[in-house]
Amino acid sequence: MILTLLKRELKVARRNWIGLAIPLLFFIIVVSLFPFAVSPEAPVLQKLAPGVIWVAALLAMLLSLEQFYRSDYQDGSLEQLLLMSSPTSVAISKILAHWLLTGLPLVILSPLLAVLMQINYGSAGSSHTWVLMLSLVLGTPTLCLLGAVGMSLTLAASRNGLLVSILIIPLYVPILIFGASTVTASLENMRYNGELAILGAFLLIAIVFAPFASGRALKISVG
Amino acid sequence: MANAWRWFHQLGSPKYLFQKTGQWLPWIWGATLILLAVGLYYSLWASPIEVRQGQGHTVRIMYVHVPAAALSMIAYIAMAIAATVGLVWKMKMAFAAVRSIAPVGAAMTFLALFTGSVWGKPTWGTWWEWDARMTSELLLLFLYLGYIALHASFSDRSKADKAGAILAIVGVINIPIIYLSVKWWNTLHQGYSVTEEGALDPAFQTPLFLMLGAMYLLFAALVIMRLRAEIILRNQKARWVTEWATGQSTERGDA
Amino acid sequence: MSQSQDIQFDGLYAHELTVSRSEQVLLEDADLHLAPSTITYLYGENGAGKTSLMRCLAGLLPEDHGVVYWNKKPINHPDSGYFQDLIFLAHSLSMKNELTIAENLRFYANLRLKGRVHQKSLSNDISGVLRELGIGGLENRMFAELSAGQQHKVALARLMLEPAKIWILDEPFVNLDQKTRGWLADKTLAFKEQGGVVLFTSHHHIDELPVDQNVGVEHE
Repeated sequence: MILTLLKRELKVARRNWIGLAIPLLFFIIVVSLFPFAVSPEAPVLQKLAPGVIWVAALLAMLLSLEQFYRSDYQDGSLEQLLLMSSPTSVAISKILAHWLLTGLPLVILSPLLAVLMQINYGSAGSSHTWVLMLSLVLGTPTLCLLGAVGMSLTLAASRNGLLVSILIIPLYVPILIFGASTVTASLENMRYNGELAILGAFLLIAIVFAPFASGRALKISVG
Repeated sequence: MANAWRWFHQLGSPKYLFQKTGQWLPWIWGATLILLAVGLYYSLWASPIEVRQGQGHTVRIMYVHVPAAALSMIAYIAMAIAATVGLVWKMKMAFAAVRSIAPVGAAMTFLALFTGSVWGKPTWGTWWEWDARMTSELLLLFLYLGYIALHASFSDRSKADKAGAILAIVGVINIPIIYLSVKWWNTLHQGYSVTEEGALDPAFQTPLFLMLGAMYLLFAALVIMRLRAEIILRNQKARWVTEWATGQSTERGDA
Repeated sequence: MSQSQDIQFDGLYAHELTVSRSEQVLLEDADLHLAPSTITYLYGENGAGKTSLMRCLAGLLPEDHGVVYWNKKPINHPDSGYFQDLIFLAHSLSMKNELTIAENLRFYANLRLKGRVHQKSLSNDISGVLRELGIGGLENRMFAELSAGQQHKVALARLMLEPAKIWILDEPFVNLDQKTRGWLADKTLAFKEQGGVVLFTSHHHIDELPVDQNVGVEHE
């Protein structure tokens, strides 16, 4: 059931690839603004890198949310999905597709940004890049899960667009805190397992609650 | 038990709730004003200034700041409880309560932030400090504003109620997570507390507890007034509302 | 509670149903019975609540009061099998512009049959129905590329591809050419002969389709 739904999500998104590429492009362009605004010096950029990359990732995730929910609501297919499968499984397939098509590419692109932001300045290997990727792997699914709840709640609301950001950004703060500080800890050559563990805990909590809440919200939006 | 259950059900009836709250309101307002007068007297005149930390008169800000901060949290929890009641038992009056609490809770949060800022200027030397409590309050304010914005964005009130209720519940699950994260993020905050023993001089306790009581009552009075307005708004077409509005009926309930 | 009482009616039965939209009561304490092998025509002015009633019977719009039963069980009861048996065609066509006609139709068929369907024969069925509807050979065209009338036909094709026992159709005849109206009327009658329940709305009386029951929704 979820597989059928997921396959459809992926197919629709693939045909609409430009909509997916834009948030990723945004991710890169926003990050590339900082050297202009602050300083191109490597130590400065390196210090800013965790925060900047994480904020950009968070905004890119928010931007891409609309694409995964809005059109199904508008063309009526959401209500057909809810008739034929449980709200929670509709939510799960949406969340999975959203992560596979936005979160995962962000993770894959992040080494590029790590280079732009001089994240490995002064260290021999590229271990900081790996930590950044790891923090994004654990953090972006939680962003998807919470974003799904926000998006499902605002589908039937008249003023959209920025509304979902207002609802969701306060909930994103803990993920931002621990995501960025994982990388900062690595930059300062400190242990970062604790931060990663907490990111993982957030993910587990979100997996338990968010699909159900999102499903309920989808049902309300359609009703 | 059966009685309590019946009362719970009666509260779901708009007319009953409107009449009952109408009877309570004068008493609550009376108690609020008395307690507020006494509390303000104690906190502004009949209490010493702080000397140990050299805060002087600015310690008096605490008598508003602490109750407002406490209420900002309690109000959100109350919203989430009412939201759960509304979703589980399909009780429309519970949704009306959520909607009524939100702006008052947001006002309390704003008050806590404002007084905190005013207090912070002489104490920390800055209007804004990113300490754990202030930052959590700020995020809490965003949660309140999010609820209000979401509720206002629907043309269909029953959808607005239900969507808002889910948001309130999701928010309340997140509040401890947000608070602990922010606390972890900035562990250097001032450790003032009412319940921590020895932290507060008894001389400061009397005005603080008086003001806590007064502000709780004020909060209740404001919420009940809003709730009554919500009830009228939501039942415009009911006959008893018309009767009440045109004064045809004798059972106006409120004095 | 009304769940506990014995419901004698087969098919779809709404008991003391109250439906409202945006706090406007559209229907109060209404009883409605759609028996097997009947076609019911739902009429009423624009805005009277035909669509809301249909959406409520389809379980999409929550009722204020009352219960809807399917074969003597409340529709949300897991044993009622209602959502397995129901095809609800709404005003919006519920098709994705980014998918081809065949992909759209195959998706819904797979979703309903939970994948237990022979994909090859499903493809043949799709081709067959599209031919009957006069849009044969367009299987692999993008849904967005079709004209409005053709898109409407694709939505109707679902009725032939997914097994069901009840059809709830919102304005199925609107914008259809003469030939397709006849086709839809024939198929609806055939569905009825097999014991199907049909509820549909229409602005005009449909000459091709004899109905068994007329139900009106009126403004207060």
